[in-house]
Amino acid sequence: MPAILQIRNLALGYPGLTLFRQLSIDIEAGTMLAVLGANGSGKSTFVKALLGLIPPLSGQLAWPKGRPHEIGYLAQMSDFDRRFPIRVRDLASMGAWRGLGLWSGLDRAGRNRVAAALDEAGVLPLADRSLHTLSGGQLQRALFARVMLQDAPLILLDEPFAAVDQSTEEHLLSIMARWRREGRAVGLVVHDLSSVLDHCGQALLLGGGIATHGAVESVLTPERLVAQGYLSESQAAWMLRDPAASPASRCA
Amino acid sequence: MLEFFAEMWGFAFMRRAFVATTVLSISIAPVGAFLVLRRLSLAGEAMAHAITPGIVIGFVAAGMSAASLLVGGLIAGIGVASLAALLARRTILRSDASLASLYLIALAAGIFILSAAGSAVPLQSFLFGSILGIDDPSMLLLGGVATVTLVSFAVLLRPLIVSTCDPVFFESQTRRPWVAEQIFMLLVVLNLLAAFKTLGTLMAVGLMILPATAARYWASTITGQLAAGFVCALSSCWIGLTLSYLLPETPSGPAIVLVAGCLFLVSALFGPLGFGGSFQSPSDAEARPVPRIPPQGRTP
Repeated sequence: MPAILQIRNLALGYPGLTLFRQLSIDIEAGTMLAVLGANGSGKSTFVKALLGLIPPLSGQLAWPKGRPHEIGYLAQMSDFDRRFPIRVRDLASMGAWRGLGLWSGLDRAGRNRVAAALDEAGVLPLADRSLHTLSGGQLQRALFARVMLQDAPLILLDEPFAAVDQSTEEHLLSIMARWRREGRAVGLVVHDLSSVLDHCGQALLLGGGIATHGAVESVLTPERLVAQGYLSESQAAWMLRDPAASPASRCA
Repeated sequence: MLEFFAEMWGFAFMRRAFVATTVLSISIAPVGAFLVLRRLSLAGEAMAHAITPGIVIGFVAAGMSAASLLVGGLIAGIGVASLAALLARRTILRSDASLASLYLIALAAGIFILSAAGSAVPLQSFLFGSILGIDDPSMLLLGGVATVTLVSFAVLLRPLIVSTCDPVFFESQTRRPWVAEQIFMLLVVLNLLAAFKTLGTLMAVGLMILPATAARYWASTITGQLAAGFVCALSSCWIGLTLSYLLPETPSGPAIVLVAGCLFLVSALFGPLGFGGSFQSPSDAEARPVPRIPPQGRTP
C-alpha cells in the first residue's frame, strides 16, 4: 500500500513541555490507526499537528503524493456551538465548501451528494432541523456526513464516540469501514479501551514521554499500558483476570 | 397622521437623520448579528467604550470632523484590542478581564480629557448622540462605512459563517484563519464610529446588539437572522427618531436603543425560540462520555 503520509522523527510539545519525540510512522491508504493515551498525553495535539495547526518541535511530515487539498477532520464535540442558527443540511454542506469558493452555490449534483451523505449517516429526515434540536448522536451523524463530503484521502477523528450511544457508534464504525475499503486512511483518537479497537489495525499509544506504534495487539499490552501511564497496575490486573472467576460470571 | 410626518420630514435635519439611520441599519445589522453569534456581545460593548478617548483626542486636536473621528477612533480601537490581546496572552488575566480593565480606563480618560479641554460640545450629545449633529461629512462617513461593510460581507460571509459555527473546523480548512476574524473586528470598530453621531459612544453598541438578539428569537437560519436583524434595526431607528422629535429634550441615542430594547423584550416573550416557543437548551448531559465496559481477553 502506498503511504499517504510519512512521519519522521516527530517530536511534539509546547514551550517547556515535550510530549513525545522520535515518532516515525507511515500512514498508508486503507489503514485505521487508533490513537490512545492518558489525558494530556498529546492525542489532540498529534491530530492538530497532522492538520498543520500546531508546528512540530522537530521532525518532518512528508506527503509522498503531495499534501491533500482536504484532510477530513472532526474535532471533539465540546468545541462545537450547538445554538448557531443553521440547518443540518447546511452544516453538512460545509464539507464541500472548499470546492465552491466564496460565492458559488451547490449545483444539482452537489445537492444530491449532500442528500446521499446525510442519508448514509442516517440523518436525512432531519435535514431541515436546527442544530439545537438534535441529540448528541444525531449531531455527530450530521458531522460525519460533513466529513464524507470532504472526500479526503486522510480522515482524522478526535474522540468521535464520546457523546454517542452504542447503536450510533456501530453505525459510524460501519461508515469508517467503508472509508477503509475506499482506500482512505483513518486516524481515530479513542478515549478508552473498547470494542472500537477491534476495527483498528494499528495503534499509537502516547504517554510517559514516548510514543509507541505498531499493530494493536503488540502495542496495547498491559505492561505497555501501565508503563505509559494509561492504566494503573491494579486496573491492568483487573483486566487480565480470568473471566470465569469474576463475580459477574459466578452469578450467571 | 400624514400631516405629522409631513411636518417632521419638513425639517432638513430630520430627513437627514432618517436617511442616515437607514444607511446605518443596513451596515450595522450584519455586524451585530455576527457579534452576537460569535459570543462577542460584551466585547463589542467594551470596544464601544474603548474608542472614546480616540474620538475625544481627535476632536480636541482637530475639531469635530469626520476625519478626526475616524482616525482617532480607529487608533484607539485597534490599540485597545491589541493591548487586551497582549495582556490575555502574556499575563494571567483572561481576555474578558483584560478588555474590561482597558475599556474602563479608556472611557474615564475620554470623558476626563473632554471636560478638561473645556469642550464646546455638551457631554450629553457626546455620550448619547444628537440627531442635530449629522452634517455632510458624517453622512459621507456613514455611506463609506456602509459600503466597506457590505463589500466585506459579500466576500467574507461564507468564511464568517463557518468560522463562527465551528471555529476548529474552519482552522483546519484555511491557512490564515485570523484574516476573517481581524477584518470583522475592524468592521465592528468602523460601524461603532459610524453610529457615534446619531447614537453617542454609550448607545452605539445598543443598535448593534439588540436588533441581533431580538432577531435570534425568530430566525433559524443565518439568512433569516440577517434579514430580521435589519428589519429590527431599521424600525428601532425610525420609531426612535420620531419619539426623539416628539419629545425635543430627549437625545436620539437612548430613544432608538429603547425601542430596540422593546423589540427585544417582545421577541423574547413571543418569538418561536423565546419563552413562547418550544426551545429547549441542548442537553449538556449528552455531551458527557458514555461509560463503557472494558473488553476482556484483549490481552495476550
